[in-house]
Amino acid sequence: MLVSYPGPWTPFFGRLDAQQIPLQNPILFWTFVLVSLGGVAVLAAITYLRAWGSLWREWLTSVDHKKIGVMYCLLGIVMLFRGFIDGVMMRTQQAMAVGPRSPGYMGALHGYLPPYHFGQIYSAHGTIMILFAITPILVGLMNIIVPLQIGARDMAYPYLNAVSFWLTAAATGLVMISLFVGDFSHAGWVGLSPLTELAYSPGVGVDYWSWAVQIGSIATTLASINIIVTIIKMRAPGMTWTKMPIFCWTALSTSVVGLSSFPVFTAAVALLSLDRYAGTHFFTPGLGGNLMLYTDLFWIWGHPEVYYVILPAFGILSEIIPTFSEKPLFGYITMAVASIAIGGVSWSVWLHHFFTMGAGPGVNAFFSIASMLVGIPTGVKVFNWAFTLYRGRVRFDVPMLWALAALVLLLIGGLTGMMLAMPAINYTVHNSVFVVAHFHTMLNVVGFACFGAINYWFPKVFGFRLDERTGKRAFWFFSAGTFVLFGSMYALGFMGMPRRIDYIPFPSWRPLLIAEEVGIVLFVIASYYMIKQLVVSIRDRVQNRVTSSDVWGTARSLEWLTHSPVPFYNFAVQPHINARDEWAWRREHGRGAESPEHYEDIHLPINTPLPLILGAWTFALGFSLVWRMYWLAALSLIAIVVLVIARSFQDDPGHTVPGARIREIEASYRNGLEPAGAAGDGAGGPVAYPGAVASRPQDNVPARP
Amino acid sequence: MAWRNGHAVRVLRFAWLPLLDGCSQKGYWLLHPKGVIARTEWHTTVLDVVVMGVVVLVAGGLVVAFLWRYRAGNTLRRYDPTFTASLVLEILVWGVPLLVVGYLSYFSVKSVFATNPYDPLSLRHALVRPHQADQGLAHRASPARARTTVPGAQEAQPLHVEVVTTDWQWVFIYPQQGIATVDDLVVPVGARVKFDLTSATVVNDFFIPELVGEIDIMPGMRTKQAMIANDTGVYHGYSDDFSGGGFSWMGFDVRVTDHAEFRKWVRRVRAAPDVLSYARFGQIARPTINVAQRVSYFSQVQKGLFDHVIERVMAGKVYRTPLAMTENMTKPMKVRLIP
Repeated sequence: MLVSYPGPWTPFFGRLDAQQIPLQNPILFWTFVLVSLGGVAVLAAITYLRAWGSLWREWLTSVDHKKIGVMYCLLGIVMLFRGFIDGVMMRTQQAMAVGPRSPGYMGALHGYLPPYHFGQIYSAHGTIMILFAITPILVGLMNIIVPLQIGARDMAYPYLNAVSFWLTAAATGLVMISLFVGDFSHAGWVGLSPLTELAYSPGVGVDYWSWAVQIGSIATTLASINIIVTIIKMRAPGMTWTKMPIFCWTALSTSVVGLSSFPVFTAAVALLSLDRYAGTHFFTPGLGGNLMLYTDLFWIWGHPEVYYVILPAFGILSEIIPTFSEKPLFGYITMAVASIAIGGVSWSVWLHHFFTMGAGPGVNAFFSIASMLVGIPTGVKVFNWAFTLYRGRVRFDVPMLWALAALVLLLIGGLTGMMLAMPAINYTVHNSVFVVAHFHTMLNVVGFACFGAINYWFPKVFGFRLDERTGKRAFWFFSAGTFVLFGSMYALGFMGMPRRIDYIPFPSWRPLLIAEEVGIVLFVIASYYMIKQLVVSIRDRVQNRVTSSDVWGTARSLEWLTHSPVPFYNFAVQPHINARDEWAWRREHGRGAESPEHYEDIHLPINTPLPLILGAWTFALGFSLVWRMYWLAALSLIAIVVLVIARSFQDDPGHTVPGARIREIEASYRNGLEPAGAAGDGAGGPVAYPGAVASRPQDNVPARP
Repeated sequence: MAWRNGHAVRVLRFAWLPLLDGCSQKGYWLLHPKGVIARTEWHTTVLDVVVMGVVVLVAGGLVVAFLWRYRAGNTLRRYDPTFTASLVLEILVWGVPLLVVGYLSYFSVKSVFATNPYDPLSLRHALVRPHQADQGLAHRASPARARTTVPGAQEAQPLHVEVVTTDWQWVFIYPQQGIATVDDLVVPVGARVKFDLTSATVVNDFFIPELVGEIDIMPGMRTKQAMIANDTGVYHGYSDDFSGGGFSWMGFDVRVTDHAEFRKWVRRVRAAPDVLSYARFGQIARPTINVAQRVSYFSQVQKGLFDHVIERVMAGKVYRTPLAMTENMTKPMKVRLIP
């Protein structure tokens, strides 16, 4: 072997043996029992409902952008919950383990989590929340909304879209299985260097982290390519750049950021893996390695990544606020420019994540000013949203509540962000919980925007509204939790409390830690109402049915032109764009409910199980590399390469839905019925429609503006 | 270098004070700096928060006012959906943030030099004009404020302390005195203290909230920090950058004493039986969690230990963390505890 690590290794199982399943840990044991029971219940329910066939045909093998988007969002929401549980555990440990006299349980000196367990939990929390919760939810929303807003039938590369999703799912699976087989990294979501090196982290935890994030970042790179091409090439005729909805502008900016930054991350972590597997010295402290090189590369990705998540959130706010103010967005051009500017500046600020490394004052001054520049376009956005409200008619529906609270959080996060951008202040709060409070404020801007977006677009995607009463309760508890928890955390920052400690040496920090725990309780209540909102809404879906295409009555962009739920072909006829807010323009000109004379055949891609199979092999590749089962790793890699090459030789003719069938579906929509098969099995491949004719893909090149 | 905006800072400081009354109790270390650097950093914080606070309050006030006035239920207000662009407002919404960022950038650059760990200008001012030493950013102080001088700040020879972190302890070497300690930092009040820092294992972060801001400690490299403590007392220092299982216990007390007391302490350490040789350091550097924060004293230090640690790390020396002390879930952690 090229590297030495403790523990046995066998050619077949690698480092894996039965001891690696930590059943003796009561927390993990009961989690395992609960997850298993839940899994069995879900599988049993699918079997009972005889849903395996339709699940396979309509979802798992789908290349429909809406289906993939929904699966992305579901994955993200499940992981959001997992990350939240991690957060609850961390806060509880910190509230318990205060001072040398605090008792310890379950093998811990203080509290109930020993350091090695706490380290995994905070690392999993960060990795999951950023890469496997927020990012999939946002990619999912972009997947659903961008093609609808630009009047396209699907993404530019539907197959690649499914591949991106299943790679993300594979990476998520790796993170999840690390709960029950082996352990997860303790070196933070940033992969603190050189703590991630084999000498200091000899277990498989860091390997789980590194392979999961490498797979995940490849998936996000592919998704970014897809969104960029879709926006550039597939806008409906008449949609010039200045008529494009602002959410698409942010999606474009964010995807450019994603495409250019994620490969850096993949490469940096790949080099780290070489250190751990091949014994190279890229990031080791000695023998010519440079650990700060890793930190540099990481944040060259890491900072753009945080804008990757904030930009779509800004786009969402720019969609929600005009709708509920009954006014067009104020300063559209400025907003588009600001979105691109934020994406651009995101490239020149990464060093502010390590102002304390001892760089010269010139370096720190440069990056300080660059970081502050971000405040300009962001400030512009806030003012423009405020002027959108001005002379409007403001309604406080659930999406608007989330959006407005996000605005308040953005102001607080902006203030603390300007503090952190000044090195002299940064020296006192860097690596303290102040930083944690700051980026949780900002990520809550994203979270609030996502919850707003889910409430806003849910009727469009599923055809019924989310329950308003429970939705408002969820909102108020979530907001209260955010302010109590992170308000206390800011205060603790001024007390100098470091982040990532599992034992609190100073009892003077206790009152605020207990306040944080109160915030967590509020979050728990909020998540109860969120689940209840979903359950109640599904139960009452018939009463909550949406009959018009525009459920809010005052929406503005193109996605509100088509039916709710959106039929599998998106638009019965290719819309031609007349104005910046196309749907609002049509509504005002009395052209909302036009039905065309003639329906043309619609060409759509066919379903394929290949992305799912690729995802499964990628999971096998990651898992075998974590445990150093080299034979399986080689096998999976060969399988992946062969499958990808084989696919490139396969002719995908797509399938054509005849105009007559479109006419039928459209007619039943107009009669107030949800036509069977319009939202569901429509994308079920060429067999779904008797009489569907295979055609060449080039027959249906999407129209260009 | 003169701080021409000293007056503004002073005014802003007093404007800010009432807001702090609510949280002036014990524990808010950053709000009550006891060192020249920490004070400069806190003044920068206050300035930034006040300037940004004005902007944020204006923006937030606009949002709240518009929400109230233009709520759907209010039929008295004017509804005008054509109000979507305004050149004057556009110039304002770009201009105001630009001006604020410009203003804060100026202060940011100034404060970077004032707190630069390698040569903090605020310490230089403190030494050149001892009676103004506590003023930090606002060193052009009124005579009334100048009474809190830093005793001994005129001392020509700065105290030199070499700091080496291990998993998970602090080794403080006093090369001028020829002594060393584990987890005990004692410095005389008002004296300029120069730190050289390195790590034998992973990255740590040196932080004494009341005295001086953070500086990273990296293996195979040397960073520097400098400070002057204004008041005697016991302060808390710790690592701020996660370094593994014993990170939470990686604290040390900082005792700021008067000069006589410091000399007495040095004599006591010189009487300790233990000697810090290269080999002895190797023993200390083995992964250890010093739960009780017990201090050790060394009456002698083998010459060049600090450089030796850096050179050994660069040559590939690694103090491996045992599997049971990392994230491993299968075997409970066996800690080499110092009782």
